Amino acid sequence: MTMTEIDDRGFKRDLLASLPNLRAFAVSLTGRHDKADDLVQDTIMKAWANQTSFTAGTNMRAWLFTILRNEFYSQMRKRGREVQDTDGLFSERFSVHPEQYGRLDLQDFRKALDKLPDDQREAIILVGAAGFAYEEAATICGCAVGTIKSRVSRARSRLQELLGVSGEGEFGPDAGHAAITSRAFGG
Amino acid sequence: MSDETRKKQDMTISHHEIKPGSMPPNASISRKLREFYDAVQEEGIPDRFLDLLEKLEEAERNTNSVKVK
Repeated sequence: MTMTEIDDRGFKRDLLASLPNLRAFAVSLTGRHDKADDLVQDTIMKAWANQTSFTAGTNMRAWLFTILRNEFYSQMRKRGREVQDTDGLFSERFSVHPEQYGRLDLQDFRKALDKLPDDQREAIILVGAAGFAYEEAATICGCAVGTIKSRVSRARSRLQELLGVSGEGEFGPDAGHAAITSRAFGG
Repeated sequence: MSDETRKKQDMTISHHEIKPGSMPPNASISRKLREFYDAVQEEGIPDRFLDLLEKLEEAERNTNSVKVK
């Protein structure tokens, strides 16, 4: 067995290990399972074709998320040029069968998430659910750490507004907000 | 802390546990977000991706053996 073959196996193994998380990110971005799986498929092919550009030992999950995100926005831009109808794209997100929203108790949450601007949705997903640090999320989105922080904070406020809940929780490493809230309202 | 006190504390904690399926109205956004995300993650890897990776591997093997010849 050559060294390349051993490396290939590691690449495939790491890719497989990241797939459920990557797929959940795709579902969050696209708002539907069928589109998400097409996006994941494109990402796998891109990643496979570019595996020499991946530096072994670095964060493969972040690398894959970056590929998927770039692919998502480049497809959105292409579609935008073809359709020139953002309202159409927006309503398309909602014209899905109820089962595509998954579990019933999470459907309201899913709909609220869909109402966020793309940049806020991806920020809160990366930091609050996918398990990335602010710095990693900033690298994936190609923006400053401060930008990610403010997007996460705006997303959180908007979700609280949409769902009419109090925000006692906090996202990722940023616990400051919740502490201030509980001090202010704790009596 | 005596064993008895600890037992009492354990009971108090279990008393406040949230029953499955009964989401309190003020449930935190962060928990819902993770629940939503984890629900998708738990679906596992669809077969189409396993098949795709098999094919990609096979294609690579064929290319490599051609190169060797």
